[in-house]
Amino acid sequence: MATSLLEEKLLSGEFVVTTEIGPPKGADVSGVIHHVDLLKDMVDAINVTDHQSSVMRYPSLGACLLIKERGGEPVLQITCRDRNRLALQAEVLFAYSRGIQNILCLTGDSVDVGDHKDAKPVFDLDSVQLLRMIRTMESGVDMAGNQLAGAPKCCIGASVHPEADFMEAQLVKFDKKVEAGAQFFQTQGVFDLAAFRRFMQYASQFDVKILAGFIVLSSAGMARYMNSSVPGITVPQELIDELAAVEKGKGLAKGVEIAARFIRTIREEGLCHGVHIMAVGNESVVPELLAAAELVGVHR
Amino acid sequence: MIVAEQKPLEDIIRMVRPYKKVLLLGCGTCTTVCNAGGETEVAFLHDALRMAEARAGDGRREYSEATLKRQCDPEFLEHLTERVEGVDAVVSLACGTGVQALAERFADLPVFPGVNTSFIGMAVEWGVWDERCAACGDCRLEDTGGICPITRCTKGILNGPCAGPKKGHCEVSPDMECAWILIYRRLERLGQLERMRRYYPPRNFRPISRPRRIVGKAGLEARGSHGDVTA
Amino acid sequence: MNTVAVRARRTPLSEHTIMPPCQVACPLHMDIREYVDLAAQGRLMEAMQVIRSGNPFPSICAYICAHPCEEACRRGQVDKPVAIRALKRFALEFGGDRMIEVEAETTRSERVAVVGSGPAGLACAYYLRKLGYPVTVFEAHSEVGGMLRVGIPRYRLPREVLDVEITRLTKMGVEIRTGTRVVSLDLVFDLGYRAVFLTVGAHQSLRMGIEGEDGAGVVDGATLLRELNLGLTPALGERVAVVGGGNVAMDAARSAVRLGVPQVSVLYRRTRAEMPADPREVEQALEEGIEFQYLVAPVRVRTREGRPEVTCVRMELGEPDQSGRRRPVPIAGSEFTERYDTLVTAIGQAPQVPDDFHVRIGRGSTIQVDPVTLSTNRAGVFAGGDAVTGPSTVVEALAAGRTAAGRIDDYLNHRYPLAPSDSEEEWMGDLRPETVATIRTTGRLEPPVLSREERTAGFAPVELAYDCQTATNEARRCLRCGLGAAIVAPDRCASCLTCVRVCPYHVPYADAEGAIHIPFDQCQACGICVGECPAGVIALRKAGELGQVDEELDHVLGSATRVTSKPMIVGFCCQYGVYGTGTLAGLWRGLKAGVWIVPVRCVTKVETGHLLRAFEMGAEGVFVAGCGEQCARENTGHWMRQRVAKVKRVLAQLGLQPERLEAFMWGENTHDPTEVLDEFAARVGGFYLDSVLLQEVKR
Ligand SMILES: Cc1cc2nc3c(=O)[nH]c(=O)nc-3n(C[C@H](O)[C@H](O)[C@H](O)COP(=O)(O)OP(=O)(O)OC[C@H]3O[C@@H](n4cnc5c(N)ncnc54)[C@H](O)[C@@H]3O)c2cc1C
Ligand code: SF4
Repeated sequence: MATSLLEEKLLSGEFVVTTEIGPPKGADVSGVIHHVDLLKDMVDAINVTDHQSSVMRYPSLGACLLIKERGGEPVLQITCRDRNRLALQAEVLFAYSRGIQNILCLTGDSVDVGDHKDAKPVFDLDSVQLLRMIRTMESGVDMAGNQLAGAPKCCIGASVHPEADFMEAQLVKFDKKVEAGAQFFQTQGVFDLAAFRRFMQYASQFDVKILAGFIVLSSAGMARYMNSSVPGITVPQELIDELAAVEKGKGLAKGVEIAARFIRTIREEGLCHGVHIMAVGNESVVPELLAAAELVGVHR
Repeated sequence: MIVAEQKPLEDIIRMVRPYKKVLLLGCGTCTTVCNAGGETEVAFLHDALRMAEARAGDGRREYSEATLKRQCDPEFLEHLTERVEGVDAVVSLACGTGVQALAERFADLPVFPGVNTSFIGMAVEWGVWDERCAACGDCRLEDTGGICPITRCTKGILNGPCAGPKKGHCEVSPDMECAWILIYRRLERLGQLERMRRYYPPRNFRPISRPRRIVGKAGLEARGSHGDVTA
Repeated sequence: MNTVAVRARRTPLSEHTIMPPCQVACPLHMDIREYVDLAAQGRLMEAMQVIRSGNPFPSICAYICAHPCEEACRRGQVDKPVAIRALKRFALEFGGDRMIEVEAETTRSERVAVVGSGPAGLACAYYLRKLGYPVTVFEAHSEVGGMLRVGIPRYRLPREVLDVEITRLTKMGVEIRTGTRVVSLDLVFDLGYRAVFLTVGAHQSLRMGIEGEDGAGVVDGATLLRELNLGLTPALGERVAVVGGGNVAMDAARSAVRLGVPQVSVLYRRTRAEMPADPREVEQALEEGIEFQYLVAPVRVRTREGRPEVTCVRMELGEPDQSGRRRPVPIAGSEFTERYDTLVTAIGQAPQVPDDFHVRIGRGSTIQVDPVTLSTNRAGVFAGGDAVTGPSTVVEALAAGRTAAGRIDDYLNHRYPLAPSDSEEEWMGDLRPETVATIRTTGRLEPPVLSREERTAGFAPVELAYDCQTATNEARRCLRCGLGAAIVAPDRCASCLTCVRVCPYHVPYADAEGAIHIPFDQCQACGICVGECPAGVIALRKAGELGQVDEELDHVLGSATRVTSKPMIVGFCCQYGVYGTGTLAGLWRGLKAGVWIVPVRCVTKVETGHLLRAFEMGAEGVFVAGCGEQCARENTGHWMRQRVAKVKRVLAQLGLQPERLEAFMWGENTHDPTEVLDEFAARVGGFYLDSVLLQEVKR
């Protein structure tokens, strides 16, 4: 029996659609609720970012609980930046106890790129170790080997960057994540299909599900900003030009169009097992994108 | 080598303000090498302090200069016994260890740090120092091609790069090379990529619970005059 | 080890300078490096004094010295040697050498006779006079000076120059008896002289040993020059051939041109590369239209119609002989014949010593002496100069004269004559190719010469003196060999490698034990490492260099009167270039601020502490001015800027405008010193006014 709805869907062989929402900076969760309600029935699962880009926000775990409460399928993102192994294990125990079983294990961005640059970066574990940590806990003991009264059971995933700067090293890490027990991968934003095809050629040998990540661009300016400031991301010049060509205010629509185009291609080619849509702040356009990508009704 | 950086002049001026006779004390080892606290820097600080006072027109302090071979060894500090007589405070241009060694040796003398002790590193060229060792107490350089991911990867992660690097450089700075890409390349050259593929379990942080101590000697009773320094 | 170094900011070096190759090569061991350095700073009086202290007749050497120093000069390994001789002339002429008077007092009763008034004899007389002896010089000719008078042509050594030196000598009380040929030394002793110095020179021309050599129209070079110099005008005809490749041959040929001979040829049995004559002489001879025939040697002379008909044979070069030059070998059947009006032989001279002197004669008719004492086989008889060495040079003769004076003094005082110790002559090795590659090349600047027409029209001096700018630039080329940096307190050296990293010439190195070495024979004495060493343990080997800037700064700050209406500006100015106080004396006039100049020998000597001290003592603005791209050394401007930047940071931390401190580097940020300084003074004046106003407001 599958651990979670997401796992069930992943194992079903159907095309999987996930998306993400970023929690608010503050205690007002009405926006999250709005987005959850909007999206929960249109996608297979909703990720919640964990202080994305090292900017302090409402916790991922809190938002995941909201999703759960409102009948959605949450994916808890956990990074190693802010918690040592005690806190990480406690987080998993808590999530599991409240029915949150999908966990995306990440290293986390450096604190230097965020809004609390003076903070102590923890990085007690890295993403591979985090995956293993969960698998260890599932076996009934904690990292120190102590017995757990009630072991968690999770569907764990990790991320991979198919357009990484130096793929050789990135793939070594990918292998380690697979070995550590990652069941699915949600990739970093894909902008270069050729690179993604090369990656899939490699990744398809493993028994893991790959969900291609797509970032919905909203303007040429945003694309340029990501190139200069978002770790690992490089938006190709053609896309920037395409965005720059539209008139003011129409950028987001263009971004949706681009993402939809990519998603359609991926599906047509049967390249991977699903997609993961990152609308970064424009979560309300996701339904529109799903329609444009002909993904409405694909889920569930 | 320990690398340090002289503190801003304002800070030093603030520290010495209440005192009349101040000894500026250099260190002839690490901080000399990193141009932060050798004889020449002591002289420079002295000149700068005098000039600051002359410009500010405030009461003249009396400064003296000295430089020890090393401030972090008690035997060398003995040479200071006479020099600190009548001195109201000492500004030490040694690393934090030197400052503390002074404080321990001269119980009644205020001791101030003139430098910020920064890291263990090396000069990559004249005037540019890079951190190379985090003194983590659990060296694994044999597995990483002699490149320390704990020091040189901003996240100190052990199993390979994050997804952050751009053009071979770390996500935090385009001036900093991604340690893991360096490690990969070097292991590749050495034909040891299998070391990179290996899984490295979480770090054992026990060696850095503070303060640390290394006992290199056998626990024997000393008899002669060359007794136990720490006893 | 003394672990407490109490403000020992820099330990001076006790055994410091190392004799540079030029000085070693100079028979008089003149302090060339020092006077060249002074000349580079425009300190010509001082340069002249240094020159005079090492040479009895420097103005003569300034014209015709064979300058072995230049052959040894290590600048030659980089591009071309420093033009030492011409710089000497510049320093003397502009330093006012003609005004100098030398005094001597008679403190001894023993009279000394000098036989021969060539440079050796005159030098000996000079130094004996200085030692207090009454001296008489006997000269066979009617005129004083030996070869200086009867050999070297006027166009190379103007007679006024010689006369000035000789007048100086007679004013010192040296008695000179011309037209007095000494024939017997017994006679001299009978006259009451207690010691004799024989310097009869080498005036007997060597014979070629060929048929017809004594025929009409054949004359030897030394004789020709002598006649010419003693006021005769020899009739040489239309075609003249000079046999030989040395300086006498050049002088004879070039004199012939000046006498109006339209066609002058030099016949030499080897090639130009082997010619012993000074290459510059050969060059000038060519310019003057003299034809050179190489690889030919006369084998026979016939007199036809009173004119010589010369048969020559062509030669080729064979194996090297003892002198290292390839021996010329006649090519069989290559003979040819030419007719000339005059054939001048100039293949060498030998001394001619009267038998009645009863001194032992050795190889080449030279007088045999003990090389240490210059004494002959006769008690109280000393000998030196060409008479001992065979034809040599003026500077060798001067050195022999000086030695003889000392040795005669020893003799008359019954002192044991100790051989001079060689220890002072620490020979500097060659520059390593790696060092050479890093040294900036700066072409040698030759002094100007008369045009060809002006030259051949008569016997006017060919070479002119440098102008100031050219001389300074030429003098700056000196590498200051042996004055380099040294680690003076190795026990305090932290082996931090700063010197290794900052040296533009890659000279310092760390050995396997980690000790740092600065090879003295490679160091260019630029001084960068001295200022950068964090342990303060490097010093230059030059006495007085340490603390020079401090002294000058103290001096300036001591005398700078504070005029409240004008802000005080202190400028550290390199003495070697355009900013030197000498060159720019007029520049500071008209500036609104009170500008006080601290002269420094290169901006690298200015350390951060100096800049801070100027501010401490009340300067409102401080600048450093260096010769930038004109500097003969590398990176001096760069390191100055590093220091300036460091002090600017301190200024900023203290709330002073960093713009109060500036570095001006010729060519880097300025070509017009007046403009930038005016601007700077105006800026500082503004800051000053602001602060004055602010204080008023506060009150
Ligand atoms: C044409 C020529 C050009 C030269 N050019 C240069 C040059 O450019 N640079 C350079 O460095 N060198 C040059 N030399 C060489 C230099 O002139 C001699 O090496 C130097 O003059 C030797 O000095 P001296 O004192 O030993 O002898 P001399 O200068 O030869 O003087 C010897 C003197 O002794 C006198 N004398 C001889 N016998 C008696 C006696 N019995 N009684 C009294 N007096 C006597 C002679 O009349 C003569 O005046 C040149 C030589 C010649 C011939
Ligand atoms: S470079 Fe200067 S010190 Fe060196 S040999 Fe030449 S003139 Fe003398």
